[in-house]
Amino acid sequence: MPISKLAAFAALVVAVVACGNGGAGTTSTTGTKHGGTLTVAIGIDPDTLDPAAQTTTTASQIVDMMVERLYTMDANGATQPQLASDVPKVSSDGLTYTVPLRTGVKFSDGSPFNAAAAKQGLDRLLNPGTFKTQPGVLSVIDSVTATDDKTLAIKLKSAFAPFVAALTQTNSAILSPASLTQQGNTAAQVKVPVGTGPYVMKERVNGDHITLAANKDYWGSQKPNYDTQNIKIVPDDPSREALIRSGGADVIVAPPLSDLPALSQDSNLKVLKAKSDRTLQIIFNTVSTSQPLLQKPEVRQALNYAVNKDEIIKNVMFGNAVPLDAPMSKTLFGYCSVGTYAFDPAKAKSMLQAAGASGMTIKLGSPTGRYPQDIKVATAVASYLHDVGITVQGPQTSDWPTYLGKVNVPPAQAAFDAHFLGWAPAYLDASQQFEQFRPDRIPPKGLETSYYSNPTVTDLINKAAGEVDQQKRKDQYCQASKQVWQDAPWIFLYNQSFPIVYTAKVTGVSAFPNEKFDTRFASPA
Amino acid sequence: MSIPALDTADGLLDLTSPEIGAQTAGGRFWSKLRRSPSALAGLGILGVYIVLALLGPLVAPFDPGHDILREQFLPISSLHFLGTDDLGRDEFLMIVYGARYTLLLGFFAVAIGLFAGLPLGAISGYFGGWVDLLVQRVTDVLLSFPGILLALALVAGLGVGLRNVIISVGISSIPIFTRLVRASALSIRELPYVEAARALGVPHWLILLRHVIPNSLAPVIVQATLQLGAAILVAAGLGFLGLGVQKPTPEWGSMLGEARTYIFTDANLVTLPGLAIFGAVLAFNLVGDGLRDALDPRLK
Amino acid sequence: MLTYVARRVLVAVPTIFGVATVIFLLVRLLPGDPARTIAGVLASQADVERIRHQFGFDQPLYVQYVTYIVHLLTGDLGISTRTGAPVREEILTRLPYTLELAAISTVISVLLGVTLGMIAATRRGSPLDLMISALAVFGLSMPVYWLGLMLIILFSIQLHAFPAAGAQDPLGFVLPSITLAMFSLALVARQARSAMLEVLGQDYVRTARAKGAPMRRVLAKHALRNALLPVMTVIGLQFGALIGGAVLTETVFSWPGVGRLLVDSIFSRDYAVVQGVVLMLAVGFIIVNLLVDLLYAYVDPRIRYS
Repeated sequence: MPISKLAAFAALVVAVVACGNGGAGTTSTTGTKHGGTLTVAIGIDPDTLDPAAQTTTTASQIVDMMVERLYTMDANGATQPQLASDVPKVSSDGLTYTVPLRTGVKFSDGSPFNAAAAKQGLDRLLNPGTFKTQPGVLSVIDSVTATDDKTLAIKLKSAFAPFVAALTQTNSAILSPASLTQQGNTAAQVKVPVGTGPYVMKERVNGDHITLAANKDYWGSQKPNYDTQNIKIVPDDPSREALIRSGGADVIVAPPLSDLPALSQDSNLKVLKAKSDRTLQIIFNTVSTSQPLLQKPEVRQALNYAVNKDEIIKNVMFGNAVPLDAPMSKTLFGYCSVGTYAFDPAKAKSMLQAAGASGMTIKLGSPTGRYPQDIKVATAVASYLHDVGITVQGPQTSDWPTYLGKVNVPPAQAAFDAHFLGWAPAYLDASQQFEQFRPDRIPPKGLETSYYSNPTVTDLINKAAGEVDQQKRKDQYCQASKQVWQDAPWIFLYNQSFPIVYTAKVTGVSAFPNEKFDTRFASPA
Repeated sequence: MSIPALDTADGLLDLTSPEIGAQTAGGRFWSKLRRSPSALAGLGILGVYIVLALLGPLVAPFDPGHDILREQFLPISSLHFLGTDDLGRDEFLMIVYGARYTLLLGFFAVAIGLFAGLPLGAISGYFGGWVDLLVQRVTDVLLSFPGILLALALVAGLGVGLRNVIISVGISSIPIFTRLVRASALSIRELPYVEAARALGVPHWLILLRHVIPNSLAPVIVQATLQLGAAILVAAGLGFLGLGVQKPTPEWGSMLGEARTYIFTDANLVTLPGLAIFGAVLAFNLVGDGLRDALDPRLK
Repeated sequence: MLTYVARRVLVAVPTIFGVATVIFLLVRLLPGDPARTIAGVLASQADVERIRHQFGFDQPLYVQYVTYIVHLLTGDLGISTRTGAPVREEILTRLPYTLELAAISTVISVLLGVTLGMIAATRRGSPLDLMISALAVFGLSMPVYWLGLMLIILFSIQLHAFPAAGAQDPLGFVLPSITLAMFSLALVARQARSAMLEVLGQDYVRTARAKGAPMRRVLAKHALRNALLPVMTVIGLQFGALIGGAVLTETVFSWPGVGRLLVDSIFSRDYAVVQGVVLMLAVGFIIVNLLVDLLYAYVDPRIRYS
């Protein structure tokens, strides 16, 4: 106890002194207040804080406060160098990336950051012996070499256009090699991640809280302003709201959506509706044998016209979503606006009649408790479909793992004609969204649960995957988006936002557009 | 008023007089029950619930396909007796339909417990020996899962949904009835007239049916009534955790669990299902207590 | 006496074994693919298969069962598929929180419950008796989580007196303990009242009163001791209700105990933790009831010789 108090005090002193000096970086920190504890309440207890095993943004956003990677995304989703010092040089065949590294950076345990450390970080991710490691697309890496102390050479197995964007994922984060044998860590499993980030882990009580202490030697131009950040685990959304209203928390994530209007009115609180990359949709079984009419694109388009998405956004999501005008969110590289399916039940009815689909029956499925208001949205969709004469069985629901087991099946075992699902790419590139529109990802090979297949689209995606010219890539994705929009394998519902609420006593709270909050450089107001 | 003598022919003939009625065991039972205000209150509440449960489909058909999003969270009004819920559905209707499912759930779950537990307990207590030993061990295992835990584990294994909740809660009440009936059976088989029946060659199953089971009914009835309340609480608890009855089937526990997120927007959605559960369980407990008092010979 | 103890302990062993087997099978019946659930929606098929192999889900059922039992005998409850930590560690870090609530609740319910029950019994039929009995029935009928929610609204949000969630605040245990205690309190009060009534109706008590002994002495010397037996049984039984209530209370108050761990593990298909927690709770229940039975037999000689 007394030692950590001493450390906190020392951090405070150093922070005050550093502030006074204005720092060595370009951003001035004069006028920014320091000290104290920031309490943040989140909804899920992170399963692991090991960067290599990250699967959820809830856990990764905490890891991001302690461990950094070569490239990161900024608040707008653009890729920026973090531990790299600049964009990499790419060989003409697209197979070799030469990454220049930042110099003079130290890990929080004092050991130096260099190419050897970076290499070890990536090797660890790719090593199948690492516990629960999920390299995902990064398994395209063939080898990593430290050509010298400040240069890293990464060789790929095949050309992968969005490689740098893929490096912004938390799983590529770089740990201090020396820390792999300390504090209960092993090379295969890390419990206490030690990185170059502005915070270090001080304490963790499973299921209750994670306490982080400021890294007084953080290299960045922006500095951590709070001495401690206390991350409380509060799975119940009204409990989080109760906490911030009773003063038990300064920042909360995802309050009950129905309270957002009231919270916005509260003069002591600020609501930040952060952009997210998650699209929510009703996915049709485009090869359904139980309802073959769904194989016709006109029928699927008609059902898109039948649903009043604006009303759903307003009344079921309480304004916490943005309408879709493309099969992906605006935050992705490769997005372009392709159209709308305005609410028009009359048109829907006539289109259905023309296709001989009036009064058809659809089996609808939805998870409960996986996405905000999921079952409510599905119920609302069922009601709109009902209004244009469709008989809807369901929405049948179950808990998430059961539901996932029901929809993530090959076409022959499909349980539903239509099901509700969300999709949030791991990094902000259209290629990730198009995982949902390519037939080589039909389960069990992937999660294309619409079983959609259009050779034009597949062709465009494959070209874009290796396309080095960024503008050409964008155009290819744009064309593919237009085709997908027309084929309507989904009812394109909305792109949900990520609400963060904080008190007027805090400033500098921001977010990344992939559902991660950012309080690293927050400060007292 | 003199007490008629029952052992004379005159006394026995006048079976319609109220004093006579009060002297038979059944008559004593009913008059005791009638005199207990709490039991009557419980029966009254139950009556209201049952009427509501039957009322539901007659008042308006339950159609999950008709939500009116524009009418969310409306307060209590003459049009909407208890306001509307988050999807614009009339809350009174939801509660009434919830009554059907919640009560049905309770009855079927206890029925499962009775139909399996009664014969098991009777056979186990009456025959003894290795049958008794086996049933005892199995009952032990089931009873070792405290309270909601067994239902939780069963629901976890069978999956969620109305049918599985009924099965889970039903199975978790079997051991309670088994134990109860076994205890009765143990003492009944020692009774002289049972021994006499055996000596006369009356087959076992007849003895079980005619003597053992009917004579163990008193505590079983009491427990069944109390178990109805307990079953509803367990099912509602599962619903609250999201592991119970799933949408769109209305059940008070799931309604309460879902309404949790609206606690600041419209607290009625939390209070009403909670009150409904509370009322039903209270009613069953009151009636069960009244029954126990009425059937207990020591508390005259 | 010793044979009675030995017999009871011996019987407990196959019961625990039965519980372990039942929970193993139940958890394997859970629908959904555990490997995919662990790996997440975005994981590639290769990653999912690797995880499946890493956790042994690809082994045949009987192999998994034998591994499970063998490990159990050495006290190894396996590894949590969610966090990678040993199940024993997961449970042990959370157990103190649940025990804290359970202990405080038991103390409240026993002390308050016995007192109230005694008062109600000695003043049978009076308004006080009616009130206590009514409160008891209310306490038994109220859904635990509803009570919790109401307490949060009143004490946390309106009065700012206690925290709404979490265990960090030193006063964090107050609301969850009260919520949890309600059911047990009602149970104990009722049982105490009914046991006390039975004792007070006995001839020897009437004799003592007729001889002029003050009520208090009668209570202390005779009634209390004899009434304590069924009350002790109830204390053992209410432990079961306590565990069930803990699951719900911990969910409402975001309390980091084993109840919440159980629910979370069911949702994330963390088989090993579900097995471990259920087994541990069942064993705890068996032990508590065993102790109560032994205590009962020690106090009441008739039972020992049956």
